[in-house]
Amino acid sequence: MPDMRFAPPNPLRIADRASGLNAPSVRSYNERLVLSLLLQNEGTTRLEIGEKTGLSAQTVSVIVRSLEQEGLVAKGEAQRGRVGPPTIPMMLNPEGAFSVGVSFGAWSADVVVIDFVGGVRFHKAHAYAELHPTATEAPLQAAIEAAVEVVPAHLRDRIAGIGLAVPDEATIGDDLMRLVGRDLPSAQARIESALGLPVFMQNDITAAASGESLFGVARSLSDFVFFYLGARLHSRLILNHQIYNGKAGASSDVGLSNLADALAELGMTFRPLNEWPDLTGTAKPVYDAWRLRARTRIRSSVEALLDFVRVQSIVLSTYAPLAVAELLRAEIAEMLPGIDVQLGRGMISPKAWGAASLPYHSRFMVQ
Amino acid sequence: MRSVLCFGDSNTYGQMPGRGPLERFARDARWSGVLQRELGPKWQVIEEGLSGRTTVHDDPIEGAHKNGRSYLKPCLQSHATLDLVIIMLGTNDLKARFGQPASEVAMGMGCLVYDIRELAPGPGGTVPEIMIVAPPPMLEDIKEWRSIFAGAYEKSHQLALEFEIMADSLGVHFFNAGSVCRCDPADGFHIGAEAHESLGVALAQEVDAIGWVDQER
Repeated sequence: MPDMRFAPPNPLRIADRASGLNAPSVRSYNERLVLSLLLQNEGTTRLEIGEKTGLSAQTVSVIVRSLEQEGLVAKGEAQRGRVGPPTIPMMLNPEGAFSVGVSFGAWSADVVVIDFVGGVRFHKAHAYAELHPTATEAPLQAAIEAAVEVVPAHLRDRIAGIGLAVPDEATIGDDLMRLVGRDLPSAQARIESALGLPVFMQNDITAAASGESLFGVARSLSDFVFFYLGARLHSRLILNHQIYNGKAGASSDVGLSNLADALAELGMTFRPLNEWPDLTGTAKPVYDAWRLRARTRIRSSVEALLDFVRVQSIVLSTYAPLAVAELLRAEIAEMLPGIDVQLGRGMISPKAWGAASLPYHSRFMVQ
Repeated sequence: MRSVLCFGDSNTYGQMPGRGPLERFARDARWSGVLQRELGPKWQVIEEGLSGRTTVHDDPIEGAHKNGRSYLKPCLQSHATLDLVIIMLGTNDLKARFGQPASEVAMGMGCLVYDIRELAPGPGGTVPEIMIVAPPPMLEDIKEWRSIFAGAYEKSHQLALEFEIMADSLGVHFFNAGSVCRCDPADGFHIGAEAHESLGVALAQEVDAIGWVDQER
């Protein structure tokens, strides 16, 4: 019997020297733990990683080094202390991974591509009419394929997957049905095999909240209330990073559809997606009244909630133009003193952006 | 006060490239001296560099005292308590007389790690932090050392990978010196003054990155 201490080395994880991502199955729990921590913090020293994970300094060293070689993690800028050498924080490499998100809204299907830190690299809103499949063409697949071209060719094997933001069953419209068929799991399998990427699905509002929680404005918040102002107003409650929703499909008709309908009565037709009309002239009273309806609804939700839990932060996510969103945010903040109200980070397309975070959860994070 | 032992060969001793055996860089110019300067007064850097030191071999020509393994234990015990042990060896194991592939040299490094763990010269009898440093690879032209180091050039380029696999396997820190410095063309396997400086600075950052709980910044 040889002395097994001197058997050939059997590394915990031989640093991956090939380019591209390791197969999901080989990513250990400890690696996921370190990656989760880095996703939630901009720059973290190895000491902090050790303290927060309970891993030994040498284990952290092995894991960080291997993640560094895999290109998922990079050294940040040196921070000079009073004595001793500069401290170098570790951070995620933005180009370490990419992900695709697709959402199906009231007026359009959105495709986004994000990098590893949630930066939007590509966004396009497709009218449903453009995407209807025919016998020979699958335009949704083509749209996704066109989107991933934004990722430089040599990094394309770093695309972690595709997240689909799926509306509540109650609100699944004919458009989505025509697009992906009645059977979501088989649509998922079809896209997976056509594009060779894993596909993940989640409720769209939950996905948007999850994006804000992972790498958006709520990254450092364990508890917050999330409002999504799209065609309708939806809400989620996040407690201890866990996302809760009320009864399925619950939403209020104080969203952008409601504004569009009110403006239609004035003879102003618009699709909230793009061309917004002038809201300062004759439309002003209608616009003001709509904002009052929306913020009153938000206030009553929050006030009811405050009877049971003490939340101090609200995230408002909407693809409405920044001026509209900011005005509404300021008005809500005024109505709810003592509560911090912020606009979301994924405002270019909140649901698709949030959905793009799904592959990261599954492939890099502790569940 | 924390202490780090730098256990190495002629490149830790500070041998000047292409010069006589007693010609040595000054204390503060050698990488361990640079490390001391960078880490500051809260650290004591202990230098243990011996020219010709191997990982685990008695050298039939240069003598049994070149064996790093037999000297490591008394050395650790003499300097305990140690918070960190840095080992940079491997080049001398590549001499033709030992006929070792790079993977065996890594096994030799592994033995030293086991010995440190067994002796546990860390605070309160614990195992100190251990860092394996792969020496910078040799240059192609090693002058009159050609026959002594026959076949060593290729192997010296494999050391970093083999050492890292060993470090990963044993769960110890690792640094590739070749990532920050090169050997000096004067003899092709010793490092010059500039290399000592960059290696010392880089290792100070590595030492710091380990993270020391009671560290005051």
